[in-house]
Amino acid sequence: MIWKTAWKNVWRNKVRSLVVIISVTIGIFGGIFAVAVMNGAIEQRVDAALNEEIAHIHINHSNLRDNYDIQLFIPDLEQVLETVNATPGVKSVTSRTIITGMANTAAKSAGVQILGIDPETEKKVLKLYETTLPGTGSFFETESRHLLAYIGQDLAKELNIIRYMINDAVIDSLKKRELPEEILIKLAPYKGQRFKSEKSFKKEMKSILTLKEQHAYAVKIAKEAWSFRQRSKMTLTFIDKNQVQTGAVFRIAGIYDIKNNMFEMSQVLVKNEDLMELTGMTSKEMHQLVISLEDTEMTEEVTASLKSALPELEIMHWKEIQPDLAMMTDMIQKFYGVFMVIILAALAFGIVNTMLMVVLERTKELGMLTAIGMNKKRVFSMIMLESVFLSIVGGAVGMAVSKFMITLTARNGINLAGYEEGFEAMGFSAHIYPVISTSFFVTVTILIIVTGILSSIYPALKALKLDPSEALRTE
Amino acid sequence: MNNLNLAWRNLWRNRRRTMITSASIFFAVFFALVMRSIQLGSYDHMYKNVIESYTGYIQVQHKDFWDEKIVDNTFAYDRQLERQLLEDENVEASIPRFESFALASNGPQTKGVLVMGVDPEKERYLSKVTDKMVKYRLTPEALEKIKQDSNLPEKVKELAILFENSAYTNNSRLQLDLGIDDKLASEIMPSIESYTAFQNASIHMGEPGVWVGDKLSQYLQLGIGDTIVLISQGYHATTAAGKYEIKGIVKLPLPDIDNKIVYLPLDICQELYNAEGNLTSLALAVSNNRDKTIAETVQRISKLVSEEHKVMEWREMNEVMVSQMDADDKGGQIMLGILYLVIAFGVFGTVLMLTAERKREFGVLVAIGMQKKKLASIMTLEMLLIGLLGILSGALVASVLILYGVEHPIVFKGETAKMFEEYGMEPKMAFWTIGTYYISQILIVVLMVLLAIGYPIRKIFGMNLVNALRA
Repeated sequence: MIWKTAWKNVWRNKVRSLVVIISVTIGIFGGIFAVAVMNGAIEQRVDAALNEEIAHIHINHSNLRDNYDIQLFIPDLEQVLETVNATPGVKSVTSRTIITGMANTAAKSAGVQILGIDPETEKKVLKLYETTLPGTGSFFETESRHLLAYIGQDLAKELNIIRYMINDAVIDSLKKRELPEEILIKLAPYKGQRFKSEKSFKKEMKSILTLKEQHAYAVKIAKEAWSFRQRSKMTLTFIDKNQVQTGAVFRIAGIYDIKNNMFEMSQVLVKNEDLMELTGMTSKEMHQLVISLEDTEMTEEVTASLKSALPELEIMHWKEIQPDLAMMTDMIQKFYGVFMVIILAALAFGIVNTMLMVVLERTKELGMLTAIGMNKKRVFSMIMLESVFLSIVGGAVGMAVSKFMITLTARNGINLAGYEEGFEAMGFSAHIYPVISTSFFVTVTILIIVTGILSSIYPALKALKLDPSEALRTE
Repeated sequence: MNNLNLAWRNLWRNRRRTMITSASIFFAVFFALVMRSIQLGSYDHMYKNVIESYTGYIQVQHKDFWDEKIVDNTFAYDRQLERQLLEDENVEASIPRFESFALASNGPQTKGVLVMGVDPEKERYLSKVTDKMVKYRLTPEALEKIKQDSNLPEKVKELAILFENSAYTNNSRLQLDLGIDDKLASEIMPSIESYTAFQNASIHMGEPGVWVGDKLSQYLQLGIGDTIVLISQGYHATTAAGKYEIKGIVKLPLPDIDNKIVYLPLDICQELYNAEGNLTSLALAVSNNRDKTIAETVQRISKLVSEEHKVMEWREMNEVMVSQMDADDKGGQIMLGILYLVIAFGVFGTVLMLTAERKREFGVLVAIGMQKKKLASIMTLEMLLIGLLGILSGALVASVLILYGVEHPIVFKGETAKMFEEYGMEPKMAFWTIGTYYISQILIVVLMVLLAIGYPIRKIFGMNLVNALRA
């Protein structure tokens, strides 16, 4: 009965209730959607780390990570591999050698980490090969009599392996993509010109295009002008097994693009057989095992069982390898909660105000109800329920709208291309697909109900303090 | 009685409603200001760290150096130009640098490093690298001594173990990491300082010798007196190679640079790269670092330098960081936007109720001859006063907190500090002092109130007297 009365009370002053409901709707929608965007970016980051960059678990000599000394191989490799393969939960495993070195082209040099891999097993563990930029080659799929290296897009740009140039073919294909004539005219003077770097190309484009044109066409132009010369070369220098400096010329097998500057700049993949020949290592000498699991949830469990089986070695799961990632995933959940609480606190002011108004407006009626014998508990719960209904209706609509908007935007993602550089420097993609777990909706629902209850306490207490004889006399 | 007076009295007729409405505005203003302050403070802190320990505000470079950082894109150290630059009113000092890349090794350990040829004396004007030399370090030996000292509390010992191998450039951070409060400090800090003291020496022009970043020294397992080998490509594709004694270890507040920096005396560095007398950049120390002044300075300097040079501003040199901060800034503003939207609805709701409740009162006032215009202006004043009350109280309380925060930034200690450091951040939360960002926040609230007023004004002018009196 009280429930019904409270519900009917909500709709006695429709405009007023609607204002509160709409403000709750907007607050909840804004909060959830913002959280979903953040959460989407983070989940994408974690996915990329697990699927393309580090996989779930690494096993290596316990001192390897201090300074990547080339001599610190995994002892008894075959036995270790056998143990790993027999561990339940392990999906696939690949072994690698890791050497620190320097990559040079005629123009530039950069410090890199050279990973000697076995392409076949590597593909089963990590999906890095799927990110090969079209037109740059492949993940060691073509036979070659040369040494091959698979490098990141940012390193390729840094070393001038990827260049920008404008020629007839570029202009032609831009014409086909229906770029306005005036832009093609603007580009014409640059015909035959090569740009040394992405930066200088972008700068040049900025100087000739208006802001509007940049927004509309800069990406298209860059895509066409981007050029990669087949069979580009670079020299890798490093110290071999006997501490002697050595090096060799590598052809570029392919270029990967994973939206993580640090990784793209530093990780160069080469075939282990090539590296063995250059460094004097044997096929039994490997630095690291990289393991992917059937299910990410099993990470800690599998790590623990590997640790007890292989006590001599350093075994780390992804949260330990990248503590910043772990911290982010753990901390961000708390942050989401705090954010929603702040929004709800702001909403609470509106609800308190409305409910207070309700009590003042119905002074006479409340007095009457008490006079004819409605007890304090029922008066209190009637007001509390009205407040909870207000917040729940707004919350439900807000959550429905959020769900709808998240589904809608998740299809094509939200592209924050303007901030690409900053995002990718942190390892994030600027193309975000919002996502949020169902449990978050449950948490928000609970928070909304609590807000409704808390913000009704003060007005309800006011109602209880009414003296029926006084209240009845008010106009 | 004037309008303002009437409005003011009306406010206190229903004190509770006035307070709650102001309180919601107070909450929004307070929260927005504090959040902006922390956000701007952390950007400022981060920018300052990068600018003051690395790039500087303005650099003069070879025109191609920024796009292609190779030794061939250097320019001759021209004293004439330097004198001209120093004549600029905003330029305090010019700091010659030679920056390049090399492979550094110590036996089997190798790593790509950033080689910085500097004049240690002149760096005092900008990067103040001498202040960043490591003074204390929790080496395993120092830890052993700490463990055996019976005067030290257990908690300090535990934290010392947690921070093993950490380096400190001053004793206050060491004290914080070990969780020692000021009272206890005078008692036990002297003995901890003596255990952890770290001997560092200077590098000087003309004397071979290097400083290396703390993280790099740990990675390459190098200590004072050890030798580091540098291999790279010199001027016109010559081979550059040299070995140098490590004189000192520095700790920069930027982990990404700390783990790869090697400082060499400028002339020794030029010799290494076979580029005697050449520079990659002249970094300028400025007396006024406001954005506008910097832009003006850049403009003036651009006229001084020849075609071979290019003048770069810190924003161009730190594009990635600027873009990151920008994205973060936008995110923060969106969140505040949501908060303000919610508050705006709250305010609108109040106005709505206030109008309904006072319908009859309005009717009576108009019936006895009050002009609708006057009534509307009283209403407007009333609402503005409520807004002002919230803004002022919010700004006041926020200012107290912010001013306190500027003087005493939040510095994390113990385990939390360790977590921040692992994340690559300084364990510190700085506030940005009261500034122009106040204006925008206050304007938003005023705008919000003005929008809400529209409703009662329309009601007043469209009032049907008979209906109103019957309400």
